[in-house]
Amino acid sequence: MPHYPETSVIKGLARVIRHRQLPRGVVHRRTLVTAGAQVSAVTVVLQGEVLREYHVLDVAQALKWPKATPAQIAEAILVTAGQRVRLGQELAQRGRGRRQRVLQAPTDGEVVEVDEGRIILQSSERAVEVLAKIPGEVESVENDVVRISGTGAVIQCAWGNGQFFFGSYVFLPQEGFVALRQADPAMSPYRGKMLISPVPVERAELTIARQAQVAGVVAPGMPASLREFAMGLTFPVMLTEGFGHRQPTTLIYRLLHSNMGRQAAFDAALPERWSWEHPEIVIPLPAGGMYAEVPSVLRALEVGDQVRLTRAPWDGVLAEVVALPAGAQVIDNGLRVQCARVRLPNKREVIVPLANLETLG
Amino acid sequence: MAAEQINSILVADIGSVHTRLALFDLVEGEYRLIASARARTTAEPPLGKASLGVERAAQRMSELIGRQLLDESSEDLFLMPESEGHGVDAFLAMGSAGRPMRVFLVGLTPEISLASGQRVLAGSFVTITGTLCPDDLRSETEQLNALLTSDSDLILIVGGTDGGADDILLAQLHKVARALSLIRRGTMPVVLYAGNQALRAHVKALLTPYTTVFIARNVRPSLNDEQLFPAQIELALVYDEYRTRCPGGFAEVGRYSQVGVVPTVQGTISAVRYLSTLPSAGRGPLCLDIGSANSLLVSATRGEPHYVVRTDLGVGHSFPEALEAITPAQVRRWLPSQVSDEALWDYAYNKQLRPATVPATLDDLLIEQALAREIARTLVDAARPAWKTGLSQLLPSFNPIIGAGAILAETPHPGVAAMLLLDALQPVGVVDLRLDPHQALAALGVIAYLKPVVTVQALETGALVDLGTAFCPLGRVRTGHGAMRVEIRQPGEAILRHTVRGGELWVAPVAPGTRVEVTVSLARGLSLNGRRRIKRRLVTGTAGIIFDARGRPLAMPRPQDRARVLTAWLKAAMGGQLPEAPPIESPEDLHADMPDLATPERGMLAMASEYPAWDEEWPDASLS
Repeated sequence: MPHYPETSVIKGLARVIRHRQLPRGVVHRRTLVTAGAQVSAVTVVLQGEVLREYHVLDVAQALKWPKATPAQIAEAILVTAGQRVRLGQELAQRGRGRRQRVLQAPTDGEVVEVDEGRIILQSSERAVEVLAKIPGEVESVENDVVRISGTGAVIQCAWGNGQFFFGSYVFLPQEGFVALRQADPAMSPYRGKMLISPVPVERAELTIARQAQVAGVVAPGMPASLREFAMGLTFPVMLTEGFGHRQPTTLIYRLLHSNMGRQAAFDAALPERWSWEHPEIVIPLPAGGMYAEVPSVLRALEVGDQVRLTRAPWDGVLAEVVALPAGAQVIDNGLRVQCARVRLPNKREVIVPLANLETLG
Repeated sequence: MAAEQINSILVADIGSVHTRLALFDLVEGEYRLIASARARTTAEPPLGKASLGVERAAQRMSELIGRQLLDESSEDLFLMPESEGHGVDAFLAMGSAGRPMRVFLVGLTPEISLASGQRVLAGSFVTITGTLCPDDLRSETEQLNALLTSDSDLILIVGGTDGGADDILLAQLHKVARALSLIRRGTMPVVLYAGNQALRAHVKALLTPYTTVFIARNVRPSLNDEQLFPAQIELALVYDEYRTRCPGGFAEVGRYSQVGVVPTVQGTISAVRYLSTLPSAGRGPLCLDIGSANSLLVSATRGEPHYVVRTDLGVGHSFPEALEAITPAQVRRWLPSQVSDEALWDYAYNKQLRPATVPATLDDLLIEQALAREIARTLVDAARPAWKTGLSQLLPSFNPIIGAGAILAETPHPGVAAMLLLDALQPVGVVDLRLDPHQALAALGVIAYLKPVVTVQALETGALVDLGTAFCPLGRVRTGHGAMRVEIRQPGEAILRHTVRGGELWVAPVAPGTRVEVTVSLARGLSLNGRRRIKRRLVTGTAGIIFDARGRPLAMPRPQDRARVLTAWLKAAMGGQLPEAPPIESPEDLHADMPDLATPERGMLAMASEYPAWDEEWPDASLS
């Protein structure tokens, strides 16, 4: 009976296809690329706006003109539906000189309706730009969705704080974060670089990283209680494994190590159930004549597959599937579940619930 | 196909984690559950196609029973019509996966029409984003913003009695129409109107230029009459349409289903309502379903259902929200070992990141079971006003009690499932405990829309797993003092005698399916159904017969006694044996191939500037 496990892509070379679109609730303004265009990771591909509050503005009341006829009010209104206005812009005007009365826009926004002597204005809260996040070629632009294709090493992570950085990275020195504190930020070799920590981080370490002006931090884990704090940071924080004191997946750190010196895209997307964006590190690489295939998320598990174990007591451990027993097995806590027999790095063979395995794409 | 011609029915339940299939068919003149199978739900990215999970579960079922269900020649999900022992006559789908529908409620009075509207919504996977009524003290601008910035999928309008005054409700309708007229981009909410019937034409004229309008019968035809069911049926249609618009590929599944994609909770309500109408129903059944993202508690008395649905309580996707609502301290009451707040929060967020994983250590399993108990307590507290139990903290005498959801249905031992139900719900008296591991109850509730005889017969022919009968006396005796003297007579065996002491749980070791006669004599201060001695003939379930002398309300152990007492309860529920802890691996052994990160390879950093850019040729790319 085939089993289709979850997949966390960790690949040395893959064809990376990503769809970029505006988040839910953001109104599309412009698409800045066309099919066939070459983009860098920081190319803005889409622009949008978050439209928020509505303002119902009574023109007669604002112009202190209670006896005005509808025709007079209509004449006084200077804007039309669909028009974009700036804060303080004149929306309606009556009289001249010292007797002049003006209704000004209380906010930047868009006039959505002019009706029955009222102007309804919707304020624009902020502009939103969507980056390509991977260097590559725009394959298509359809319905405000930009499809970009590139090649490189891909490392999908467990969690990110919503920030993004493209640039080079360094590993945490042997002395740990203390070494960053001692360095003068202006002269520090860590300044402006993504810092890869093989050990979980705490609040103190993230604070030091901020003071040392690093570009971001990648770590296996951190306490869940720091989520809010991390989301308030202006640089990316990425967790490769999850929350708590987690052991690192060695393959991730080997991949990063073997690509030292290259630039990488650190997309610390906040994981959301229905979002296609996933926190990931993409190290752009030329295919160099090698065939870079798109990571598969549809393949059934097979004997010989390398898998990552995702739950205690072996979380973060890479293992090899050596057997797929047909029936349910009793695991250490007494639960009876479908399992795989896997070989751990120390050569011991254990049974692990199929639900606790991830293939690597 | 006409309902009379339908014999085999396949029902898919697309849950947040698992997609389950249940196949019902005619066997020797009776409808029965003949097979079930499940696969991981595939509605979420990166797959985003719910039908794939249905297909995988169907393949699994085919392998189990040797009945081909899918047409291999079709690329899309295509279920074969029944022929020569293969295929099925009908396919129905229900779902609890996906983002809950966001609903804005418009009515007249908070105590009457808005309260009825909330009861309509309580039976579905929805989040109420806001309310609007004439008593609202907010300015026109604020009211408009409340409606428009709530990002709702549905506006439910209720209010007024049939033939009553309509001008106030009409004013509310104009507000909604104005709001809808302003939406220029994004998703337009649909409208469900279940108010004064005299205004139906106005509703259509005012709102159909902007959006789709569903009309249901008035939830309050008169002040003393509340009719929720017609609005709930219409809400199910709205939910189906919402699902088809949602990401996840529900539209494709809905196309094949004769009823679209019905909310799973509607199926459960329908089945529980049926069970409550049986002559032997007594107070009626109670069903507790704890899922990954949502949880629900449904009870019914003489055909009148009461239910609580929480889209923020679950042991997977909603673990952090549930822990937030329940608090770590409450969860810790059920844990034999000391677990810090920080460890619980780490666990909660990790589970949310990987909701399909199963606990592999006993400690992890106990954390999830602890949360499940507290979720049930929260649901019971929310249901109490509807049960009209006054100040009593005891559960009304619902029977049977049915548990559903993987956390209850998949335990190391059936006795643990029984104990979880007893801990969580704390029933009093003699109660039958059942499990629904195949989500058959909700499936049969949905089938009732199509062919009610299947529901009737399948429930009578063992679609649910009989856990056993539990004897739970009211009152409490001191810990260690004799509470229940039990005699169990079974054919061909010696009489089994046992004294259950105060604070103890005892699972009698009797093989499942045995006909026995149980006599229970209670100590002073305890009673079962108002008596101190009770004799019952019964058939034992998979967990045996359960005797709970821990007191009602349940006496929780003091923190210093927790480890000993909770371990004793667990051991008793597991038939006297606890799982052995596995040997602990050395992390160094398991992560031996970690590179020495602190010392980069010689010259590597210096070489960095000489590396080609990403789009240049790289002649000898050597990648691990």
